Amino acid sequence: MSQSPPSVFEPASKPVSPFSFGRVMVIASSSVTQLVRMKTFYFLLAFAAIIVVLMSLNPPTTPAGVLSTIKRISFGTMDIFAWLFAIVSTALLIPKDIEDRTLYTILSKPVRRIEYLIGKLLGVLFVIAVSLAVMYGICALALFSRESLYIAEELGAMQAGAQYSAEEVEAQIALIQQQGLRLELGIAVLASFLKSAVVASVTIFLSTFASSSLFSIIISVLIFIIGHAHTMATSFWLYQTDNSLLVELILKCVKIFIPNYQLYSFSHGIIQGEAVSYSLVWQMTGLTGVYLVVFIFLSLLVFIDKEF
Amino acid sequence: MSNCAVEVKNMTKVFSKGLKKSDYVVAVDNLSFEIETGEVYGLIGPNGSGKSTTMKVALGLMAPSRGSVKVFGFDSGDIRARNEIGFLPENPYFYKHLTGAETLKFCGKLCGFRGGELKDRIAELLELVELEGAAKRRLGGYSKGMLQRIGLAQALIQRPRLVILDEPTAGVDPLGSRQIRDLILKLKEDGITVFLCSHLLEQVQEVCDRVGIIFEGRMRREGPLAELIQINEQTSMTFAGAKPQLLAKVRDLIEAESDATIVEEGHPKTTLERLFISLSKSEKEEEERK
Amino acid sequence: MSHFKKIPRTVVILVVLAAFGLTRAPFEDRLVRDLIDTKMVVPPPGMTVLDQMGQSALMATLGGLRPLVASFMSLRGYENFSEKNWDELHQTYQVITALEPREEFHWVNAIWHLGINATANMELDTKIPEFERKRRFFNYAQQAIEFADKGIDQIPDSVEIRKQVAEVYREKLKDWSSAARTYGEIKDLDGAPQYAERFHGYFLAKVPGREREAYDYLKGLYDKGADQHLPTLIYEVRRLEEILKIPYPERIPEADLNRNRARPQKPKSKPLPGGVIIP
Repeated sequence: MSQSPPSVFEPASKPVSPFSFGRVMVIASSSVTQLVRMKTFYFLLAFAAIIVVLMSLNPPTTPAGVLSTIKRISFGTMDIFAWLFAIVSTALLIPKDIEDRTLYTILSKPVRRIEYLIGKLLGVLFVIAVSLAVMYGICALALFSRESLYIAEELGAMQAGAQYSAEEVEAQIALIQQQGLRLELGIAVLASFLKSAVVASVTIFLSTFASSSLFSIIISVLIFIIGHAHTMATSFWLYQTDNSLLVELILKCVKIFIPNYQLYSFSHGIIQGEAVSYSLVWQMTGLTGVYLVVFIFLSLLVFIDKEF
Repeated sequence: MSNCAVEVKNMTKVFSKGLKKSDYVVAVDNLSFEIETGEVYGLIGPNGSGKSTTMKVALGLMAPSRGSVKVFGFDSGDIRARNEIGFLPENPYFYKHLTGAETLKFCGKLCGFRGGELKDRIAELLELVELEGAAKRRLGGYSKGMLQRIGLAQALIQRPRLVILDEPTAGVDPLGSRQIRDLILKLKEDGITVFLCSHLLEQVQEVCDRVGIIFEGRMRREGPLAELIQINEQTSMTFAGAKPQLLAKVRDLIEAESDATIVEEGHPKTTLERLFISLSKSEKEEEERK
Repeated sequence: MSHFKKIPRTVVILVVLAAFGLTRAPFEDRLVRDLIDTKMVVPPPGMTVLDQMGQSALMATLGGLRPLVASFMSLRGYENFSEKNWDELHQTYQVITALEPREEFHWVNAIWHLGINATANMELDTKIPEFERKRRFFNYAQQAIEFADKGIDQIPDSVEIRKQVAEVYREKLKDWSSAARTYGEIKDLDGAPQYAERFHGYFLAKVPGREREAYDYLKGLYDKGADQHLPTLIYEVRRLEEILKIPYPERIPEADLNRNRARPQKPKSKPLPGGVIIP
């Protein structure tokens, strides 16, 4: 071992703050590196492959119909990738740290457990955001190229022989454009992101007490599915008078304990070309923030006493 | 304020085994000891004696069921206590996808280091543990000894006042083991408190100022090493170049005394470790000469 | 702090979850209503549809995968169409429209497949006995009309659904009264094609006993100006003048008959890229 200057051992540890956003970001960026080096971004290739296959399909319908199909399948796939990724990656990260005992190393440094939890969540959310942005980019490119092609073809077909008035041509083009690439589609991507954020926070909570990653994944998927039955549960609750006590109890539990994922289906309306209500989007964003805070708090309640 | 780096006071740690309240196991039972600032303290005992539990409580990874553990006056769960501690676990647990330098960067950032200061500190520590050449290799490809050294480097990253080492030489070859021992002595020289847990008694014997022997969760003996191991009623002498005639004279002298006897006589033996080191050194010198 | 430690953590977590659930429930219920009202969220399918849904479609509803499953089921619908498996197609479209009731395109397709393709197949498929063919012809047409009714319930302003069902009335069922009624609805909607107002009159003119009503309507259109003086309109007005014995001074002038003859006729169907024909 080489001779080293005495300064190496000079006791001079830095003062430590009670909560540091810097430390949260260090954990977050390490989670991002971890996910990237686990080659998780490869699923983007699978998405690109789906889009390529989709582009080669020629369903028996109108140009607007084709665009609508491309849009619905690609956004649907994007949504699945996002929430599934949120569940799997979150369910793997913390148990993996515990299993590999990397958590020992991290928690023996001046790091608060809440900082660790928030850092992990932010890391996953960052990767989801980047993935969604890339997928949206691929999808936008595909939609735009198809849309331009159709518009050119329609214009050619309609203008040949001057059979159609300018308004009719315009109406036909507008029909295609409505199903094509529109700015509002970004809001549909936001909806997927918000949903994935809630899914990730619920999975983090589950993984703080779960015995295995598999358990967290299965329970989180179950909660996800049940979370889409809120409105159905409400209508049962309100309109079915002959419910047994048990059914009623179950429905009430679903409403109270399970997050309402159905709300996040507002992307479906946007994809179908409905006008976006920005005030509702803001409310959804706010609600998501509250979900994150509550579930991180619940995770901390379990995690703070956890012994390693 | 006392001069204690670590103060363990009536610490008991109980683990529940099942759902029933009566179903529990006592891992540490009413343990008390203190580690003075600047000393090297060794806690020794067989596997399952409660050493690791004590250490985990000191690191804030566990909370004591009763009693308290303070580090430089802070409760062991306090983040300020952890800011003073550098910890080297038995098997260094790091992200295998990170390189050596990235691991130090990660740990340094967690301790509040940034920019040039962090860069310098990383370079300094990589040089100290002789891993400059492997700095850009992922930890997945490191040997056990290299992992131990990078573990030591990360433990020292924030210039801690207390270094906790859990079985620091377990699974490391004698050369590496010697390097770690030298480093512990160097830490001591620089006024850093070292809290060492080990079941390798010889290793503890070589570096520790004071030792605690723990067994089944209880402290059995504690004190300065020299005091603990010395056999007061016996004396040993080692001669060099003594001829058989001289040795016969000494024997006669002792036998003349009524209450003195020779307990053991023979040639002092080197340890296997020293033999290994001297052999590998001479091998190296031979190669260099060639 | 010590008191807090004594309370089992599970209880604290359940209390927090319940409190959060109870606080957010009214807000979320209102939000769901608003989202449904602004058509951003699809209301849950009715109980009868739930019964008809297969397991996968039900899971899709629960799992938020509606658009995706609906898209794949549309492909299945196309397969049913290629195989002329009309009963299966009917079921497929019931699920598709339940999954995405706000997607006009699914309703239009369902009406087109059942009302036009299935009925055409019944007219041509000589392997099936004639009596059975006729019965099925009317069944499929009726199923198309049912889809149209449900579709209009979901999308009250839909021009496309009405246009498609009007075609079924007009071309298949020769139900002039319903065709006239449907074009009458279309003409008052936003985005209605110009021909809808004329078609309303043309088909009204074919309904026995409603000639006077048709004449007044078409004459009203004629009087709007030269733009409306199209050959079919003039022909229909003349025909009705004859039937209703309208006094000569009140009849439309002779010369007008040839007025718009030079204007090229539009093809009945518009050719689209890929040889796709809008029915």
